[in-house]
Amino acid sequence: MRTGLMGGIALLGTLAVVACGGTSTPAATNSGTPKPAATGNPTTAVTLSESGSSLLLPFLQELVAPITAAYPNITLAPSGGGSGKGITDAIAGNSLLGGTDAYLSPAQFSANPSIANIPVAVSAQGVWFSLPGITSLKLSGDVLAQIYSGTITKWNDPAIAALNSGVTLPATTIIPLVRQGTSGDTFLFTSFLSATNSTWSSGPGFGTSVPWPKVAGEGSAASNPGMVAACKTGCIAYIGVSASAAAQSAGLGQAMIENKSGNFLTPTPTTIAAAVTAGAASIPSNLALSLIYEGGAQSYPIVNFEYLVVNTTQSSSDDALAIRTFFEWTIDPNGGSTAAFLAKENFVGLQASVPASVLSAIQAKIGSITG
Amino acid sequence: MSARAGKVDAGRARHRVSKTELTGGDRILRVVSGVASAIPMAILGVIAVVIFITALPSIIFSGLSFFTGSVFNFGNLYATTTITHNGVQAPPHAVYGVLPLIIGTLSTSIIALVLAVPISVGGVLMLSEIIPRRIADSMAVFLELLAGIPSVVFGLWGVAVFGPFLSAHVFPALTAIGHVIPFFNGPVGEGQGLLTASLVLAVMIIPIVASTTRELLRRVPILAKEGALALGMTRYETVRVVTIPYIRTGIVAASLLGWARALGETIAVLLIIGDIYSIPSNAYGNTSTIAAWIASTLDGAFGDTTGSGIHALAELGLLLLAISLVTNFAGRLVVRKVSGGVLPVGRGV
Repeated sequence: MRTGLMGGIALLGTLAVVACGGTSTPAATNSGTPKPAATGNPTTAVTLSESGSSLLLPFLQELVAPITAAYPNITLAPSGGGSGKGITDAIAGNSLLGGTDAYLSPAQFSANPSIANIPVAVSAQGVWFSLPGITSLKLSGDVLAQIYSGTITKWNDPAIAALNSGVTLPATTIIPLVRQGTSGDTFLFTSFLSATNSTWSSGPGFGTSVPWPKVAGEGSAASNPGMVAACKTGCIAYIGVSASAAAQSAGLGQAMIENKSGNFLTPTPTTIAAAVTAGAASIPSNLALSLIYEGGAQSYPIVNFEYLVVNTTQSSSDDALAIRTFFEWTIDPNGGSTAAFLAKENFVGLQASVPASVLSAIQAKIGSITG
Repeated sequence: MSARAGKVDAGRARHRVSKTELTGGDRILRVVSGVASAIPMAILGVIAVVIFITALPSIIFSGLSFFTGSVFNFGNLYATTTITHNGVQAPPHAVYGVLPLIIGTLSTSIIALVLAVPISVGGVLMLSEIIPRRIADSMAVFLELLAGIPSVVFGLWGVAVFGPFLSAHVFPALTAIGHVIPFFNGPVGEGQGLLTASLVLAVMIIPIVASTTRELLRRVPILAKEGALALGMTRYETVRVVTIPYIRTGIVAASLLGWARALGETIAVLLIIGDIYSIPSNAYGNTSTIAAWIASTLDGAFGDTTGSGIHALAELGLLLLAISLVTNFAGRLVVRKVSGGVLPVGRGV
């Protein structure tokens, strides 16, 4: 049964290469066919404790029952707490896995040589607004940066109007919403603003919490669903795709965001996968890769890997085997990355979007987990 | 003073017994009570020292700008370089200025106190002086129950019910005051922010101030009150001349208890204050407090491998500890001054 499963992975990896078309040329020369790490049901019961990202948590919670069904000696025990906690817990050994929306920093890598961050899924972030009678709006990172800086304050500002010919914009005040405290979504959004607006880049910059410029009437919320609830008439908010359905049913409109090629797009499985394909053409050996503002005509500009942080040197071989098995199974389109599991969070499967070279880099990293 | 001290010493000497007279039980009691009495002091000491040591790099790094600056930034955690300022390492662009938090903490807690004290004292006077004993006792039970509600429940109630109610019905009316005090001008927001947090804090400290005041009222000598009534005073005059002067000191102490609670309250405030790092431009604006900010940014501080972010949060903790101790000692001073040496009963008759 296991061989069949692995065969399936290899086959799907090949399909992904075919689907990706011409862009995957460097992949083929780079490393060849992806090779899954050695996996299997450990001889003793292993509980995979996880803490961290609240964005990743609902996805992992869905995997709890099926992973044990597939491998009876593996139990997954996910809990939240935030990306920073996930990273710290995994480094300190308080949990075996640490979920995070943001990859490790160079300083964290150099301070902890045996720690790896491994992508398990692809997420993205939408920009939503609430304007009565307007369902579609085009925005660019540059304009968003000016809105969040307080230099564009009205919806009918010439800079917004220039992007939206034919749309009657109201002369009302824009209410920008930000996330409270520290947030992986703030990291992604401010990374995008920094990539598209030099004033923002040299000013507030990017991070899980940034010194937001003071904007009259600004609002805040503690989570993605909180952003949806707080977004009232006149507001603009950045919301992770896991809450897209909630935003839709709350009557918010999703902005089309200008990508590097000048096309205006919303996050869909196609545009997210296109950004991964473009951005992941080459991946550093530590797998820390930004997928913000990637090239490619169909690439949505605010996309990210969801990572699990793990110590590649485990205390027992059974723990290492369980972790390798969990990773391989989670990124497997027939295991944890089925359309049904991914759809609830609007995530995109890793194998469906990354080139073969990246998949083999990821699988090599999974294979390096030993104990 | 010295005579009194001498008397105390004499009293102790009288109880001094030779070791052979002690039973096993006495020895156990000595050890257990000795250890138990040292524990609270030791805990306070250890906490203060540990927080101070953790905060020390931040104190050196930021200096006075920690208290006067208005920008708080963990810096670029993804940079490959670090900066060194005053000999302390930190990520590039790291700045720690906490003035908005000091303002947020003091303003929310003081507004809460100003609202809660008159309500508490007035309510308890009503309970003890006017409402029949039997009904008052059962009403007082609810006061105690209110004191037992976990703060997270208050926060939840603030977010889901109280805040939206305020922004829909109360705050729009309050903007009328804006003609006199511009701070109350709109926009009123969505029901989170400075004033909502202050109001929820007020509700949270009412039971603390009220139940302490109620205990004080029980200790007002019935003879003094009966005497006042016998002199022909009305109930109002009795309260004004006998009851209030007798409990005045206690009310200050009760208010300080409430203030301490309001200063350090974390989760309820975090849920309803909006938790944005800015000095609000009006009474309804989002802001944050020291306690809420520590809780909400700790996760981000973990990402700073130089440890500079954690040091800055530790300095914030130290600052909160200092504010609490200062208000506590100031309160004790006030109590000592107000109470004086004379029995307050009958003053002003």
